[in-house]
Amino acid sequence: MRLTSHGWIPVLVTGMTGAKKRTGQFGSFCMAYQNTSNQTLIDRRAFLTMAGATWAATLAPQAAFALSRTDAVYASAFMAPDGSYGVATLTEEGAIIERVPLPARAHGMTWSPVTNRAVAFARRPGTYAMIFAPDDSIEPIIITSVEGRHFYGHGCFSANGRLLYATENDFAGNRGMIGVYDGTNGFARIGEFPSYGIGPHDMTLSADGHMLVVANGGIETHPDFGRTKLNLDHMEPSLALIDTATGALIERHAMPDNLRQLSTRHVDIDADGKVWFACQYEGARNDLPPLAGSFARGEDIRFLELPEETALALANYVGAIAVNRRDGLVGLTSPKGGVEVTIDAKTGRVVSQESLADAAGIAASPHGFVSSSYSGSFGETKSRVAWDQHIIRIGKL
Amino acid sequence: MRHRHILLLGLSLFFLPLSAMAEDEEAAAPRAGLRVDAVPGVMQKAVDDFIRPGYRDLLEGTETLAEAAHTLCEKPSGETLGDVQMSFDEVVQQWSTIEIVRVGPVIEGNRFERFLFFPDRKSTGLKQVQRILATNDETATTAESLKGKSVAAQGLGALEYVLYGTGAEVLPTEKNGFRCRYGAAIADNLKAVAGELHAEWEKPDGIQSAWKNPGPDNPVYRDGKEAATELLGILVHGVESIRDQRLRPFYAGIIKGEPDKGHPKMAIYWRSGNTMPALSANFSALQALFNASGMDALLPDGNRDMISAINYLLQANVDDLDEIDLPLEEAIANDEQRGRLNRILQNTNNVLQRLNLDFGAAIGLSSGFSFADGD
Repeated sequence: MRLTSHGWIPVLVTGMTGAKKRTGQFGSFCMAYQNTSNQTLIDRRAFLTMAGATWAATLAPQAAFALSRTDAVYASAFMAPDGSYGVATLTEEGAIIERVPLPARAHGMTWSPVTNRAVAFARRPGTYAMIFAPDDSIEPIIITSVEGRHFYGHGCFSANGRLLYATENDFAGNRGMIGVYDGTNGFARIGEFPSYGIGPHDMTLSADGHMLVVANGGIETHPDFGRTKLNLDHMEPSLALIDTATGALIERHAMPDNLRQLSTRHVDIDADGKVWFACQYEGARNDLPPLAGSFARGEDIRFLELPEETALALANYVGAIAVNRRDGLVGLTSPKGGVEVTIDAKTGRVVSQESLADAAGIAASPHGFVSSSYSGSFGETKSRVAWDQHIIRIGKL
Repeated sequence: MRHRHILLLGLSLFFLPLSAMAEDEEAAAPRAGLRVDAVPGVMQKAVDDFIRPGYRDLLEGTETLAEAAHTLCEKPSGETLGDVQMSFDEVVQQWSTIEIVRVGPVIEGNRFERFLFFPDRKSTGLKQVQRILATNDETATTAESLKGKSVAAQGLGALEYVLYGTGAEVLPTEKNGFRCRYGAAIADNLKAVAGELHAEWEKPDGIQSAWKNPGPDNPVYRDGKEAATELLGILVHGVESIRDQRLRPFYAGIIKGEPDKGHPKMAIYWRSGNTMPALSANFSALQALFNASGMDALLPDGNRDMISAINYLLQANVDDLDEIDLPLEEAIANDEQRGRLNRILQNTNNVLQRLNLDFGAAIGLSSGFSFADGD
């Protein structure tokens, strides 16, 4: 499969179930709520054991800051030169303002503008998430995944900021789940519902706040096998729209049969409410599959057809995607290809393509995007950290 | 009480100040680079001098095992049972060598799990095997029909239970008994899987060619960096797997100043006494792949110390494992033997860092191997 010209490819999607097949899941939501009692002490012990004395010792008292916390507009997880992990807030220019150490590697983050709470999720198959306020108005809160679940590294807040949703793995049942946490009650886990797929990864909230958009990567993993991908020969990637009120499936888009090894991993929403998704291809390395696309609710997915030069540069692997709603742009990064690509959301055409070795995260900036790298660059600034795969914007544009 | 969170009251989890961490630091030392020209040679040696011989040995071992198992069923005796047990030990060694390769044909078609299903955390596999034995399920007595059953009932773990689990005492006396015929079917199944793996790696235009010739039209590696990264990944994932799936479940080391009491029955192959020999074979295999492939050729000059350190740590683990000869429960309770287990865990963490961060950085993976490991 070689794609050579610009523009859009409409794709007939066979796996879309549509609203007609909506099934209520509220029952399981309530059941899970009842099951979450009496485990605080166990989890606390488990967490402190995992975190270890070394991590606890790194917690330092508050001190004076060279930069005001109000300058913080981005946050990202990182690895320090000594191999320890943390999360940092940064200025518009990419200078680090504050850091907080973490017990293990984090991955994705999310932020609620309503409550000003940010969350860093452990990288799969991690078991913690840390909630903090970029202005330090609260002490950070650590939550741990319940028994039989681990985090996948992403999540998002409800529109009012009261609920936190996290993608999780029910590894015994080999099914993706969305854990629901109550931000008004110390982020207690109050329920869960299915992600309607295997291996949910990134997730975001629709513009109206009524739907969760989940990228089910389709790859089976189990903590007993570390990060090994267990089903590359029979993957089931899909994109699911889920009703936040009921946990019911609204619609699900499976990848076409010839792209079953195209793992749908990351999502964002544009100004028109359209969902943009980015993929990582597990098939033959000399295939040239589509790597990103978009769809509006009720429509089929449309893959972005990239010029061959761009498709090759992305190396069948998009690590992060971001939308700049104001500018109508979509940004993609590939650490494997060492490239950052900007797309016009309306036309699907490539606006820019720049080399960026070890390209990591990307997020909307006042003019286009800011991107980071494993080797420490963040915009024009270089720091002695390895930035993880994602950046979130925690300030308005 | 429905709270599931941990509010770290009493622990001041404040942000560290910028001034304490230095601002806009320059990046660390200049990045080392991968010697791309050396990659095809290294990949060729990895395939021809480690992977292909590994699967060839496994096929030969499983052929011997299957033959011995059928002989036991026909002519049951202490001697023929002993032959099966010796062949089983040999296959465990061969598998523990090549199982470090968790890429390619072995992770397709559930072959890995069909050969070895481990860990069996909730004893699901054990229960299935026990049910087959309790009900004399005749559909488990040919490799062909066994293939359709749970992966947990058709691999090394199942055969170990047949040979060493409750009720195994019938084996040297019962001619063509159900237990023996089930065991022989498992051995045939292992031979079949090993045969498939051997055949896949021997196809001249198959995976071995893809591994040896990275390039734009290659279905596995587009360039030398991708190939070198995957080869390093075998070592990094191999060490991680041994630590997290094989060592820590039965002995987690020193926790808060106290040695773990251990869970000997969580150890792999505890029934047949193959736990330490299998672990030793795992570390030997990592060292063998590292040296046979000549991975040091990928590094810029001046990294001999790193190569020596990696070899030293892997060999130290092999040496310690070979000296742990008490039954597991006693070994964990014994100061000298437990000391070796502690050292093995330390050395395992150490060698993981050296491979992941040091070697990874030296071949141009700026933040180590695991960082570019996808997500």
